[in-house]
Amino acid sequence: MLVVRRRHGESVLIGDDVEVVVLEAGANRVKLGILAPREVLVFRKELELTRQQNRVAAAADALVLSRLTVALDSLGMQRKTVERHNV
Amino acid sequence: MPECRTKYFENMECTEDSVIRLPNGLPGFEEEREFALIDQPLTRPLVFVQSLRTPDLCFVALPVLSVDAAYRLSVSAEELDAMGLDPSRQPSIGNDVACLAIIAIGDDKLMTANLLSPLVINLGTRVAVQAIQTGCNYSHRHPLLAEEPETVCS
Repeated sequence: MLVVRRRHGESVLIGDDVEVVVLEAGANRVKLGILAPREVLVFRKELELTRQQNRVAAAADALVLSRLTVALDSLGMQRKTVERHNV
Repeated sequence: MPECRTKYFENMECTEDSVIRLPNGLPGFEEEREFALIDQPLTRPLVFVQSLRTPDLCFVALPVLSVDAAYRLSVSAEELDAMGLDPSRQPSIGNDVACLAIIAIGDDKLMTANLLSPLVINLGTRVAVQAIQTGCNYSHRHPLLAEEPETVCS
């Protein structure tokens, strides 16, 4: 990983047309400004992690569900047998 | 409210107060704006988040407080505003909002709850947002079990 020390107002260039500017730097957070062409997607990593995790979650099936209910039992969470009518 | 087709149950009557609306859908499922919450005594504490548009799309979730009793919400002001909640303070789980962690089982069979971005539902309006928590260290893959469940080998 490339590590660069930057101060308030300084920036780094990524490739030919992306610029990341430090707008504010505090003790435990920084505010970044990003200049990029419209076709370059810029979003927080947490959003991508959430998107990926939602896709994994959506792929669950009845088998996964039954494994989950067993696991919940072992966690001692209060529940009764899951009855799935279409399985 | 008409009957809705569901992934895990038979057709169900969806009452108006079981339906939640997500103005922006869910990340990865932006077109999915309406879900029914299926919360039945037999399957508690699981809550099924069933798409009303796509019968085969149903998320399985747990109340965040049943995963982590000390869970603290940290929803951004914009998202609170989008839900019609007071953006100047964090809503109270159980009073202002319901808060569900979506469960996933990955290829590694590890069962995890997404505590990074819980589904936060305004109990007054039934408007919901999958709110990515800010300034916290909650994981999008919080393990539900300390160890992997035993696999049964044949």
